[in-house]
Amino acid sequence: MDVKRDGIFKEMEGILASPQNHLLEKAVKAGRIPIGYTCSFVPEALLMADALVPVRVRAPGTAGTEIADNYLSNFICSYTRSLLESVVADRYDLIRGWVFVPSCAHMQRLIDNVHYLKKLEFSHVLDVPHKSTAMHVEWLTEEYAVLADKLSSHFGVDLSDEALAKAVGGWNEFVEVMKSIGELRKRPESPITGTEFHLLLMAAQVSPKDMILPYLLEAKEKLEERGGSGRKVRARLMLIGGELDDPEYIRVIESQNAVVVADRTCTGSIPGLTPIELNGGPLIKTLAEHSFKKTLCPRMMEDFDRRLQIILDTVREYRVDGVVIEVIKFCDLWGVDMVPMVKAIRSEGIPVLKLEREYRLSGEGQIRTRVQAFIESMGK
Amino acid sequence: MDIQGMITRSRTLAMGIPSKMKAFFQNSVAGFLIESKNIGDSAIYIKYWALTWAAIFKLILKLLFKKGPVVLVRELMHYPWLFVFLRATGLMRRFTRGRKGHYLESTCLIVYYIALTVVQIMENIFYRPERVIIGEDLVTPEIPFAMGLHTWQLEDFGILLPFIYPEFAQKYIDASENEGINPDACSFVKNAAGMILKGHMPKGVAIISSNMPCDAGATIYSFVQREYNVPIYRLDVPYNFYNDRAEDLFTKDLKEMVKWLEQHTPGRMDWNRLREVCKARNRMMELELELWEMLRIKPAPLAAEAMYLSHMWFFYVVPGDKLSVSLFEKLVDLARKNLKSEAHAVEPERYRAVLWNPPFPHYPYIINDMERAYGITLIMDSMTYNRHKFIDTSTPDSMLKGLAHIMMQGPMVRHTRGPAENYLDDIFRIYKQFDLDMVWIANHVGCKSGQAMNGILREKCREMKIPLLILDYDLIDPRIVSHEGMVRQVDYFMENVMRAKRLEGRIQEG
Repeated sequence: MDVKRDGIFKEMEGILASPQNHLLEKAVKAGRIPIGYTCSFVPEALLMADALVPVRVRAPGTAGTEIADNYLSNFICSYTRSLLESVVADRYDLIRGWVFVPSCAHMQRLIDNVHYLKKLEFSHVLDVPHKSTAMHVEWLTEEYAVLADKLSSHFGVDLSDEALAKAVGGWNEFVEVMKSIGELRKRPESPITGTEFHLLLMAAQVSPKDMILPYLLEAKEKLEERGGSGRKVRARLMLIGGELDDPEYIRVIESQNAVVVADRTCTGSIPGLTPIELNGGPLIKTLAEHSFKKTLCPRMMEDFDRRLQIILDTVREYRVDGVVIEVIKFCDLWGVDMVPMVKAIRSEGIPVLKLEREYRLSGEGQIRTRVQAFIESMGK
Repeated sequence: MDIQGMITRSRTLAMGIPSKMKAFFQNSVAGFLIESKNIGDSAIYIKYWALTWAAIFKLILKLLFKKGPVVLVRELMHYPWLFVFLRATGLMRRFTRGRKGHYLESTCLIVYYIALTVVQIMENIFYRPERVIIGEDLVTPEIPFAMGLHTWQLEDFGILLPFIYPEFAQKYIDASENEGINPDACSFVKNAAGMILKGHMPKGVAIISSNMPCDAGATIYSFVQREYNVPIYRLDVPYNFYNDRAEDLFTKDLKEMVKWLEQHTPGRMDWNRLREVCKARNRMMELELELWEMLRIKPAPLAAEAMYLSHMWFFYVVPGDKLSVSLFEKLVDLARKNLKSEAHAVEPERYRAVLWNPPFPHYPYIINDMERAYGITLIMDSMTYNRHKFIDTSTPDSMLKGLAHIMMQGPMVRHTRGPAENYLDDIFRIYKQFDLDMVWIANHVGCKSGQAMNGILREKCREMKIPLLILDYDLIDPRIVSHEGMVRQVDYFMENVMRAKRLEGRIQEG
C-alpha cells in the first residue's frame, strides 16, 4: 500500500517522526499548554479545555534504552523503557504537565522512576479503578475532579462546566470526523489502508485537535472520492493489542497484500472513537462513564465478556477475515489475557494470529513471514 | 529406544544410585541422629518426624475407610501432587541441618503444623466440596471462614510444594506456556494455570479474587473463570490506599463480596463467627509482635522459618484458626526459653539480614546453608512485615474495615502499588528496627514491579551505605537460576562486599 500517494499522509508522517511536532510548537507559541499522557483512561476532552492540549506521549526514534534498562531492568516492556529514556534525554521539552495512569505494573514503576530521575513541573497520577460498578464510576469522577482542580490552580486555566462543555464539543467533532473516515473501512474495498488510518489517528493524538482537524477534513474529502485501493487484497484483518503508536508496524502487516480494516488497540478507534453523550448530568461524571465505555483493557476485571463481544461484533461489522493480536513483550496484561481471548475468538471460527513485538519496529522479516503464513492458512 | 540406549540409561541410573542413597540417608532420621549426636535434639526431631507422618497417614487412612479404596485411588489420581507430601519429613531434615535446641524445635514445629493444616484443607476438599470456593492468596480468607466456606487458595500449593520437591512446578509451568501464556510471566501464576490445565486443582463453587498483587496474578483469573465456568467476584484495591477514601471504597467492595457470596454459595455470614476469627487473628498478631520484639535482640533467639514460614503460611492460609494461634503460642514460648537461657538461633550470629520479596520456595534451605556458611541470620522478610492495626471487633462494619485494611496494606499489595516510597520505606524501616547488616532482594525474574525498583534501591542503598544483595532467581522454577548459581551469588557478595570468610566449606546439597 502506498501511503505516499497523498501529501496529507506525508504530512502526518512528519508529525509522527519525533515525540513533538510543529503543530505543537505553534500551539505553545500561541500560549497553549501541552499535557502529556500515557493511557486511554486519561480524559482527552478534559485536557482540551481552555488552553490545554492533550498529547499522547510516544517515543519514536528511540535508538536504545541503556539508561532506562539500568533503572527499570530488561524485563519491563520496551514502550515504558523508551518513554523513560526519552524523559531522561529531555525529548519532551514542550510538555508542561504529565498525567499518568498506573494502568499496569510497568506504568506504575515508570511513574516512580520518572519522579526519581526528573523534576516535572506538573505531574498527576490518576487512580483508575479496575472495575466499573457505580461506586467505581463515582471514584473515577472524583479522580477527574481532583485532576481538573489541580490543572486549574497550577496553570490558571478555566475548567468550569462551560469550558468543559466546549472541550467536549471539540472532542466530539474530532471523533465524528475520524469515525466517518473509519466507517469507510467497512466498504468491500476500503479506500483507506490501516496504515493511513493510523497515521491520521496518531497524528491527531499528538497534536492540538483544532489544528489537526483541517487535515482530517481534507483527508476525509479525498478518501470519499477514492475508490478502492486498486489492487487485490488477500485478507481483511482486525488488529488487537495494547499501545501501538507506530503506523509503520501496520504497514509491515499490510505489505502482505492484507488490509487492516479495524483496530482495537489503546491508540485505536474501536471503541476509542466513541462520542461523549451528554446526558444532562455532571460533565465530569459523564467523562468518567465515557472512559469506562470507550476503553477495552485487560486490566479491567469482570470485563472480559464485553471485550470479547466487541471484538466479535467488529469482526462481523467490518467483514474481517482474521484477527491479528500484537502484544509488546513482557506485557503480562495482554500476555495472560490473550490466552482465553484467543481460545474464545477461535471458538467462533475466526482465525487468530498472535504476534509478540517490541515497541520499536524490529524483526520486520519475521512479521512479514508470519502474516503471510497466517493469510495462507486462511486459504486466501 | 535401542539396546545401546537402554544400556546407557541403565548405567546412568546405576551411577546415580550411590549419590541418591547418600542423599536419602542424609535426609532420613538416621542421618539426623548421626549428625546431631545429641539425645535431646534427636528426641525433638523424632517426635515431629513421627507426628508429621502420623498426620499424613491419618489423611490417607481416613479417606480409605470413609470413602473406600476406589475413591482414595480416584482422589490420588486427581491430585497426584499429594504424593509430594510423602517427602515432607525430607524438608524437615533439610531445614534443620545444623540447628539445635529450641531453634531446631521451632523449625520442626512449623513443618508439622503445616502438615496439619494441609490435612485440614484436603479434608474440606474431600468431604465438603459444595462449600469450597477458589480464593486468591491475597484475599485473606477470614470472611469465607465466617460464612462456613472453605477457601482453596489457588496459588498456595504452588508455593508450598516446591519447598518439598524443587522440580514440582516445572511440568505445570511448561503446560501453561504451551497453552500460550507469555513465558516471561511470573512462574507462580503459570504454575497455577498449569495445574488447572492438567485438571489437578479442585474446582470450587465460586471464585473470589482481586487486582493484587500484579498484572499476571490478577489477569489470570479471567482464564481461571473461563476454564471453571463458575461465578467470580473480584475485589479492587485502589492505587493509593493510605487514605480514608480508599478504605471506604474497599470496605464497600468487601460488603458487596459478602452479599455476592451469599447469593452464589451455600455460605451465610455469621458475624459472631467472624468476630471469633478476627479475635484469633488479633491474638496471632499479638504473639507475632512479641516474637518480633525478641528478634530485635542480638543475637536473635529464633530466626528464619520461625519468622517467615510461620507468617507466610498461617497468616495467609489459615488466619484466625485455632491451629495458627497454637503455633504462635508455641513459637513465642520457644523464643522466650532461648532468651532466658541465652541460647541463640544461629551460632555464631555474624550478620543479620532482611529478605525482600517472597523467599526461595525451590531452595528454601539456602537460608540454613548460609547460616552455617557465614553466620547469616534471617531476621525479617517482606511478606512477614505485615504491619497493621488490630481488627476492631466491636461491629460488623469495624471488622470489615479492619480486614479491608489488612488486604489493602498487606505485603506485596503495599509493595506493588502506590508510589515507590511504599516499597523503599519498609526496607529501610526494617533495616533500622531490627538492627540489620544487609538487605537481600530475592530478585524473582517474573516480578516486573520488583525488577523495576532495583535501580532506585541500588542508588538509595549506596547513599545509605547499606550492603545490598540482589539475588537473581525464579520463584518456583529452578531451571532459570540453579541452586549452585544462587549460592555463587551469595558467595561473591559475601567475599567482595562483606569481606567475609566462610565458617564451613562449600555446602553440599542433599
